[in-house]
Amino acid sequence: MLFPTATFAIFFMLVLPLSWLLMRRGELWRPFIIAASFVFYAGWDWRFCFLLAFSIVWNQALAQAIHHRRAARARRQLLVVALAGNLGLLAYFKYYDFFVTSTNNLFAFAGIDVPLEARSIILPVGISFFTFMGIAYVVDVYRRDFQPVGFGKFAAYLSFFPHLVAGPIVRPSELIPQLESPRDPRYVDTSRAFFLIGTGLFMKVVIANYLAANIVDEVFGAPNQHSSLEVLVGIYAYAVQIYADFFGYTNMAIGIALLLGFTFPQNFDAPYSATSISDFWRRWHMTLSRWLRDYLYIPLGGNRGSSLFTYRNLMLTMLIGGLWHGAGWTFIAWGGIHGTALVAERWWRERPGFVERPWTRGRRAWHRFVTFQVVCFAWIFFRSDSFTDAWDLIVRLLTAWGEPSPLVSGGVIAAIAVGIGSQYLPRRLPLVLMARFSRLPIPAQAAVLSLALLVTHAMGPEGVAPFIYFQF
Amino acid sequence: MTSETRRRKPRRRTGEGGRRLHSAGSAIVVSLAGLLIALLLNAPGLHKSATIQPEGWKRDTALAVTGPLESVSGALLLDQPRRVLKAALGRSEDDRIDTAIVAPAPEEPVGGSSAAPPKREKFSPRRKLRLWIAGDSLVVVPGESLLRAVAGNRAIASGGKIDGRIASGLERPDVFNWFTHVRDEMRKNKPRAVVLMFGGNDDHGFMTGLPEGKEIGSFGSASWRAEYRRRVAGIMETITRNGGFLVWIGLPISRDGEQTLRYDVINTIVQSEAAKRPGRASYLDTYFFFAGADGGFSEYIADDAGRLVKMRAGDGVHFERPAGDLIAEKVLERLEKRYDLSSWRRS
Repeated sequence: MLFPTATFAIFFMLVLPLSWLLMRRGELWRPFIIAASFVFYAGWDWRFCFLLAFSIVWNQALAQAIHHRRAARARRQLLVVALAGNLGLLAYFKYYDFFVTSTNNLFAFAGIDVPLEARSIILPVGISFFTFMGIAYVVDVYRRDFQPVGFGKFAAYLSFFPHLVAGPIVRPSELIPQLESPRDPRYVDTSRAFFLIGTGLFMKVVIANYLAANIVDEVFGAPNQHSSLEVLVGIYAYAVQIYADFFGYTNMAIGIALLLGFTFPQNFDAPYSATSISDFWRRWHMTLSRWLRDYLYIPLGGNRGSSLFTYRNLMLTMLIGGLWHGAGWTFIAWGGIHGTALVAERWWRERPGFVERPWTRGRRAWHRFVTFQVVCFAWIFFRSDSFTDAWDLIVRLLTAWGEPSPLVSGGVIAAIAVGIGSQYLPRRLPLVLMARFSRLPIPAQAAVLSLALLVTHAMGPEGVAPFIYFQF
Repeated sequence: MTSETRRRKPRRRTGEGGRRLHSAGSAIVVSLAGLLIALLLNAPGLHKSATIQPEGWKRDTALAVTGPLESVSGALLLDQPRRVLKAALGRSEDDRIDTAIVAPAPEEPVGGSSAAPPKREKFSPRRKLRLWIAGDSLVVVPGESLLRAVAGNRAIASGGKIDGRIASGLERPDVFNWFTHVRDEMRKNKPRAVVLMFGGNDDHGFMTGLPEGKEIGSFGSASWRAEYRRRVAGIMETITRNGGFLVWIGLPISRDGEQTLRYDVINTIVQSEAAKRPGRASYLDTYFFFAGADGGFSEYIADDAGRLVKMRAGDGVHFERPAGDLIAEKVLERLEKRYDLSSWRRS
């Protein structure tokens, strides 16, 4: 069930009032929201509901077991079992075929036949997201940062449909306390919710879909058919497409949760206005960045050692982050480019005699420009099916200047400008718009909402393309 | 009732930036009212979306709702803002449901096996062969491979585009009317080489655009076959009569065995129709390209060096890049057999 569809609208218009009706009675509300979330998830493939149920039972059972053990060794052993279960699921469903083909091809290179067969396993939607949330819960309990809660509360936390299939990755300490006490029906942040849903819909349905259909798919599909200018604009367009797609989805998710009375953390903060790659990762997919920091980078040792040790940890974190996005070497390369950039920035700042110069307008603009180019260069590998395709694209980018560029249309430039320009708007602007909307009478609010839906629906293409991040 | 017992109105609370927080009741009312008004404003588009859904109860229900909704919207002129907006975007035709099948009936005889195949025409950078690649979503990956493969040949003008329309086919002109589109493309751009792939969405016992009173029965029935054959022949005629050489890519083996059987029915019709037009239409059988060692579906296939190559997408139907490259290679072979695309290099 995709958010921008009539099916979801009907589903949500049933869930929203029922959820508020049952809100004061947690013993009824929790089974209701769990059931609704499973119905939502079954919209993709009902068989994977068993997988989600297993993840809930597994993580809850082990978190409780860890909590009730005192001996550090026993706790550690249970943690290892919990992590093995979670990562095992991920490894099987997401990486098994990648492992088999990589091993097979490596040995085939040496003329050795490996008796491993790929299994054509279907990737369950959202598995990377709910697995990471399950791991966060177990690890937080192990670290004694968080007390395990009852089964119903944990099941509601892990399966809560607004975040279920593509995040944001919500920490247990952020959502579970909200699930423990009923939300106050008198104070719902409706204007922010509608603003997020409206902007999310527009970014996904209009901007992301338009760019995909009008330049990105064509340029990445057959780069040698396009001029250097088309390739360059196609790369920028993909940067905007993936941002609009994922930003749009998480905005809708956060808005939907808000209407139900729950607050999710922010997932994007104008990432293409970043002045460095480390700044970019503070702004892009923020809930994944902090997950990787808290549950990977810091356990690896973080920066509590020599510079080389820190560089290693940074690189490992980004390579694994790349692999998390997809079972392919191009994703690892994408992570490697970001890791290299992060290491380079750190080395630059740590070198003897380095003094941070004050930001001038020109210096900030230059840093933003360079950062955006590095991010776009990495996107080439993220979007390409293979290194050959990425290489073809790069070669074409450099060698076909002056050829006709019919794909670089006014619409494409306008969509890119909206995608990037929206990140440079004054921060107060959305606040002012939301405040004004909140002061409108109820009928006027409904009218504004319906006009936004009219514009989005009329400007969008027929049908709804799946969200890019669902496959991760 | 005393003032002590009277229910007090909750204090107004504000969020960041001074925005007012509202009650859950307001959230429900605004959501519901906003959606209902939006339904009326977007009624023509919603009715089209309902119409082009796959056959079944969901479509019937959606039509039962959006049909009257569209009438009400039209009567109240609430559909006008959408029409104005669409016109401003240059997409006035978006909401039109066109099921007219405009396809010439096959000439008698169609050509027959005895008809002489056309002579091998020569193309060069000065006189380019115009190539058009079109079809449903299945054509996209092989199409991209073909575009890459022909990029180095300056005798071929591809326009760098693939005319792939998701969820479309020959059964449902309401989803996308290929009959009109092929005719218009042939008239307007006059491609001499046409690569088509259809049928991936046509394995159902439901067609639109049928002549008045005609029923086609279940999928694969004699009447279904006759009607589908008429449509395939119509597309082939439109292309070949306008001077195009057609390569029709057959449907591949699918993970779903039942679906593969249905695809066989479609492939058989296309293959036999192409055979009636030697030198003008060519059917490319892809079935055995993607069968595993046991003859069944396989997502991965070992190449000559023994490396496992992912040929098919996770959905068990669509292609991965290596599969596209393989199909493109075979398509190009047929185009080169039909047209002289390389002698210009020697002259």
